[in-house]
Amino acid sequence: MAQVGAWVGAVITAPLRGFARLLDVPLRVWQRLAGQNGMAAFFLLPNMAIFGIFVLFPLGLNIAYSLTSGGALFLADRNFAGLGQYQRLLTCADYTNLLSCQEDQFWTALGNTALFVVVQVTALIVLATATALILNRELRARSFWRAVFFFPVLLSPVVVGLIWRWILDRNGVLNAGLVAVGLDPVNWLLDRNFAFAAAVGVTIWAHLGFFALILLAGLQAIPRDLYEAAEMDGTRPARVFWRITLPLLMPNMLVVIVLALIRAVQVFDEAFVLTGGGPGTATLFLTQYIYEVGFASLLKNPGLAAAASILMGGVLVVLTLLQLALGRRNERKAKLK
Amino acid sequence: MGRIVLKDIRKTYGAVDVLKGIDLEVAEGELVVFVGPSGCGKSTLLRMIAGLDRPTTGTIEIDGVDVTARGAADRGLAMVFQSYALYPHMTVRANMAFGLQNTKMAKAEIDARIAEAARMLEIEPLLDRRPGQLSGGQRQRVAIGRAIVRRPTAFLLDEPLSNLDAELRVSMRAELSALHDRLGATMIHVTHDQVEAMTMADRIVVLRAGKVEQVDTPLGLYNRPANLFVAGFIGAPGMNLWAGRAGASGFTLDGGQVLPVAAQGATTLGLRPQHLRLDPAGPLVAQVTLVEALGAESVIHADLAGGQKLLAVLPGQPDLARGASVRFGFDPGHAHLFGADGLRAAA
Ligand SMILES: Nc1ncnc2c1ncn2[C@@H]1O[C@H](COP(=O)(O)OP(=O)(O)OP(=O)(O)O)[C@@H](O)[C@H]1O
Ligand SMILES: [Mg+2]
Repeated sequence: MAQVGAWVGAVITAPLRGFARLLDVPLRVWQRLAGQNGMAAFFLLPNMAIFGIFVLFPLGLNIAYSLTSGGALFLADRNFAGLGQYQRLLTCADYTNLLSCQEDQFWTALGNTALFVVVQVTALIVLATATALILNRELRARSFWRAVFFFPVLLSPVVVGLIWRWILDRNGVLNAGLVAVGLDPVNWLLDRNFAFAAAVGVTIWAHLGFFALILLAGLQAIPRDLYEAAEMDGTRPARVFWRITLPLLMPNMLVVIVLALIRAVQVFDEAFVLTGGGPGTATLFLTQYIYEVGFASLLKNPGLAAAASILMGGVLVVLTLLQLALGRRNERKAKLK
Repeated sequence: MGRIVLKDIRKTYGAVDVLKGIDLEVAEGELVVFVGPSGCGKSTLLRMIAGLDRPTTGTIEIDGVDVTARGAADRGLAMVFQSYALYPHMTVRANMAFGLQNTKMAKAEIDARIAEAARMLEIEPLLDRRPGQLSGGQRQRVAIGRAIVRRPTAFLLDEPLSNLDAELRVSMRAELSALHDRLGATMIHVTHDQVEAMTMADRIVVLRAGKVEQVDTPLGLYNRPANLFVAGFIGAPGMNLWAGRAGASGFTLDGGQVLPVAAQGATTLGLRPQHLRLDPAGPLVAQVTLVEALGAESVIHADLAGGQKLLAVLPGQPDLARGASVRFGFDPGHAHLFGADGLRAAA
């Protein structure tokens, strides 16, 4: 059996080896010409090319679009507008009344997103921490519960949105249940506050497992003896949490907070499928605003959408840099230990 | 203060009997060492005493009070963990203060206690460092300091020296003993290093497979091991234990050699390697298989007729070649005799 395996392996690797030998000569020549660092650049090239084509180039294109106006699709057909689109986004006659803004929808989306970020991230962090603490206990069927909490993470966001729409819809499962027990159906998703709460709740449900998992990993890295030492010292559970668990969980916690912030700023798919931004503009978030202005509305304005996405991108860059900085700090601390 | 009495402590995890009925009295101020092979239940027993785990049955009394149902915090004991279990994100000072703050002690009193313990353990310059910035030995001191400031009725130490290198272990051993004398508090010290047990203990508790094999002073164990296990476990290198049978003329080894020891009923004869000596007229004939010369003494490995092994520790550097046939003698008073049940034969 093992011999057959070795034989098959040899057959498979033979052409590879031949190919490698073929490449050997030009590579050697190239290395002599380019030096060791040149070789590194050479090997990085494919990846950099992909990054360039799919990230850098679109980014540049986006910036270019944000400086143009009109409805034309191709850049060559568009009029240069300078910072006009940014101006349009940010100008208000009276900054205390957002309805007076030129793009009041942008401001509504911005306000909704800001509220969403604060509420959703706070609730998500608290719930994920609580979940991780519970899953870290010696529960019966612990693996089962871990799977249950992680399962929604595996679902496509659209599926998540659909599931919950089926539940919360006027003719949905929840109302069917209410009717069955003799209550009046409620039009959940047509209530502004409830729709917003649903967007918060559903995105939490969908992401909770992911963040709880990161926190759980952090909790499991805390040595049990520390808790036993605290127990010998007669430490109350609340003090154990605040003085031992939380500080030692901080590296993971910071990562979780920043990732949750980034995701919350980007909120779109689940919420859009669930509420479509409504009722009215109650759950209109920035990404949806950009999508509609750029692609979906009758008066498509790619320039405006591009400008809005650059502004949003700025926020995300700040958050990402924060995360990288935290990551580096954690690494340094880990080395100190 | 600090008298600990264990009555018939048993512990089962599922179907596994880890402790099988332990009775023990630790006197006030005594330094008792639990020693035994890995997995024999030393840590489990210590954790029962600490209150980190509950016995399945049995009672634990401290100073005459039944504390079996009490939590760890209410027993007035302090524990030093094998891993030290220092809080890594707190300074040494905060580590030592943490337990005291739980009791709402005044800050001045806390500071005073920390200062006193730090002086005693010579860790004053380290007070504002974090555990990650300390060496193993320094962490060890801090862990002990954290126990001391609580002024416990007894200290429980679970293999506190096992993470230190050999040299440091020897010096910390002496320091711990000195500390015990100074504090006068009861200490229960767990180790599987029998040298550590011998050098530190007032009394040693030898455990095996969840049972107490013998409780005695170090020399008591050495001189009068109660059974074959203790005989083999205490003393380094281990005691020679030879199977044979007792007869009118003495103890006949399975290989046929007759030793002049009065040994009614014994089936095993034990002799420490240090009690053998070269003797051209001696009753033991053995073939040398290995000589380990350590300078001051030499460890001789040899085979007796019949295949049993002989180990002898001889002073100096005797000139013995591998394969040589050598005669050993001994003082019959040094022989230990054990019956078929493994217990020390009455003699
Ligand atoms: N929670 C547990 N569940 C099941 N078995 C356990 C548990 N804790 C300990 N044991 C078993 O109890 C026995 C005694 O363990 P214990 O840790 O007390 O040994 P020890 O004498 O301290 O050993 P060592 O010298 O290696 O530290 C071991 O066989 C161990 O496998
Ligand atoms: Mg142990």
